[in-house]
Amino acid sequence: MTVLRDMRPVYVVGVGMHRYQFASDTNYIHMGLTALRGALKDAGVDFPDIESAFVGCTGIGMAAGRILFSHIGWTGLAVTQVENASASGSSAFQLACLEVASGRREVSMALGVDKYGDQVRAVAKEGVNRLSDTATIPLVKYALLAEYLKKEKGLTAEDLALVASKNHTNAADNPYAQFQKPRSVADVLASKPVMGDFTSLMCTPRGEGAAAAIVCSEAALKRLQISGIPVRVLSSTLESERPQVGREMGSVAVARSVAQRTYHEAGITAEDLQVVELHDAFAIEELLYTETFGLCKTGEGHFWLRDGASRIGGQCAVNSSGGLIAQGHPLGPTGVGQIHEIVQQLRGQAGPRQQPDARVGMAHMIGLGSIAIAHVLRRD
Amino acid sequence: MELEKADLCAIGAGQGANGPVLTLRAGMCGACRQLHFPITAYGCPRCGAEPGRVAEQALDGRATLLSFATIHSRLSPLITPPCVVGEAEIAPGLIEEIMLAGEESQYADGMAVRAVGVEITRGDTAVLACRFEPAEDAP
Repeated sequence: MTVLRDMRPVYVVGVGMHRYQFASDTNYIHMGLTALRGALKDAGVDFPDIESAFVGCTGIGMAAGRILFSHIGWTGLAVTQVENASASGSSAFQLACLEVASGRREVSMALGVDKYGDQVRAVAKEGVNRLSDTATIPLVKYALLAEYLKKEKGLTAEDLALVASKNHTNAADNPYAQFQKPRSVADVLASKPVMGDFTSLMCTPRGEGAAAAIVCSEAALKRLQISGIPVRVLSSTLESERPQVGREMGSVAVARSVAQRTYHEAGITAEDLQVVELHDAFAIEELLYTETFGLCKTGEGHFWLRDGASRIGGQCAVNSSGGLIAQGHPLGPTGVGQIHEIVQQLRGQAGPRQQPDARVGMAHMIGLGSIAIAHVLRRD
Repeated sequence: MELEKADLCAIGAGQGANGPVLTLRAGMCGACRQLHFPITAYGCPRCGAEPGRVAEQALDGRATLLSFATIHSRLSPLITPPCVVGEAEIAPGLIEEIMLAGEESQYADGMAVRAVGVEITRGDTAVLACRFEPAEDAP
C-alpha cells in the first residue's frame, strides 16, 4: 500500500474558522465563507488559486458546498461533498491531502461546515432492531465503559471531571470555542446528571460552525510565493471497527490501530508528539485514547492526567483547543477544526494556549459506526 | 399482548418476576460456524455468507451482567428516565447492550440475569418489551 509519505509532500498553508456556537439563525453560507476567507488570508492566496475542495457536512443537505462556493466565485472548482459522521471534516481533509500528494492538483482545500440538522442516521434505516432502545447512542456505550473502568482500574468521577475541567479551561482562551468559560472540577461534577457518573459538562455540546484548511504542493508553495510557516502532513490513516473482543469497545480498538498505523506511516512514535487533538465527545474517551495512543502506559491514563502531563506545558498538550467537550463538535467542521488547532500550535501562533516547542502534532477523530481517522503534522 | 421487537426475541417457557421468560433469536452460520445476534435478513455478519447459510438458533435468554448504569436524561424518545441500561454476555463472546427492569440497586456486576417480557406502553398501546431481571441461578 502506498502511504502519504511515499507521495509528494503536502503542506497546510492556510487555516480559518467560524466560531462554533449553539444552533442559531446564522446561515451556513456566512459561517462557511468566514472560515474560507480566513484560510485564504492566512495562506495569502486567492480563491481562484484553489483547484479542488472537499466539503465535510452532515446536516445541511445535498450540494451544500457548491451552493456555498457560488457566493465567492464561479471558478470551475472541483467540489465534492463528504459525509462521514463526526469524521466528515477529517475525511474531507484526507481527500484534499491525497489530491495534492497524488499530483492530481497543486492546491486543494477541506472545508467543514454544519448546522445542527435533523440527525437522520443510516442505522435507523438498517431494518435491524436492538435489545436496548439506546443501543445506537454512543454516550450510553461510553458511560457503561466508565462504570466498568471505575471498578476495574479505580477511575473516579473526579477523573472524568478533571478531563472536562482541563478542556473547558483551555477553551476559555480560544476565541473559536463554543464554551469560553473556565470550569473547575466541582463545576463539572455539579452540572446536570446524564448517565452514571457522566454530567452534562463531561459531554460535548451540539452546535454549528465552520473550519477550513488549504493544502498545497511544494511547487505551489513557490509559485504562489506563500511565505507563512508551512506545516507538512506526514500521514493520513483511516480504518473501521472490527468485532469487539473482550470488554474493549470496537471504537477504542480501532482508535489504537489507527494511531499505530499513522505513527508508522509518519515515521514517528508517540514520544515525538507535543500536541494532540482527539475525540473527547465524552470525558472518558480522552483517558482511554491517551492510553491507546501510547502517550502513557495502559491503565495509567488517569494518573497521567492527574500529573498534568496532558495540560498545556505538560509532556503533550491534549485538546489545547478545548476539544469536542468545550471547543465544540458541530460534526462537519470538527476534524478540520482540529487541523486548525494543530497548525496554530506548530506555527507557534496559539497565543495563551501555546504548547512550548511544539513541532509534531496529531489530529485523531472517531466517526459514528465506528471509524477512526488520524493525521500527523510536522513543522518543517 | 404483542411482543415488541419480535425479530429479536420470542416468548419461552416459564414466568419471571416481571413477566414471561423470553428466548433470544440468534443466527448460526453454516459457513463459518460462528454465532451472531440478532439473526437478520442479510446473512452472516462475520464471514459474509448468504442468508440461506444462516440458521436461527434460540438462546435461552440467560446472560451475565457485565456493567450497568442509570440514565438520568431523556437521551431518546423511546426511554423514560430514570432507567437502567447494562451490558451483558448473552452467549460466549456475544456482548449486547440490554435494558434492565427495576432499579440499579437490584443489580451487581457478574450477576446472572434473564430476559423477560415486561409490559410497557408505546403511545396508547401496551406491549411486552424485552427487559432483563435478576435470575435465580447462574446462566
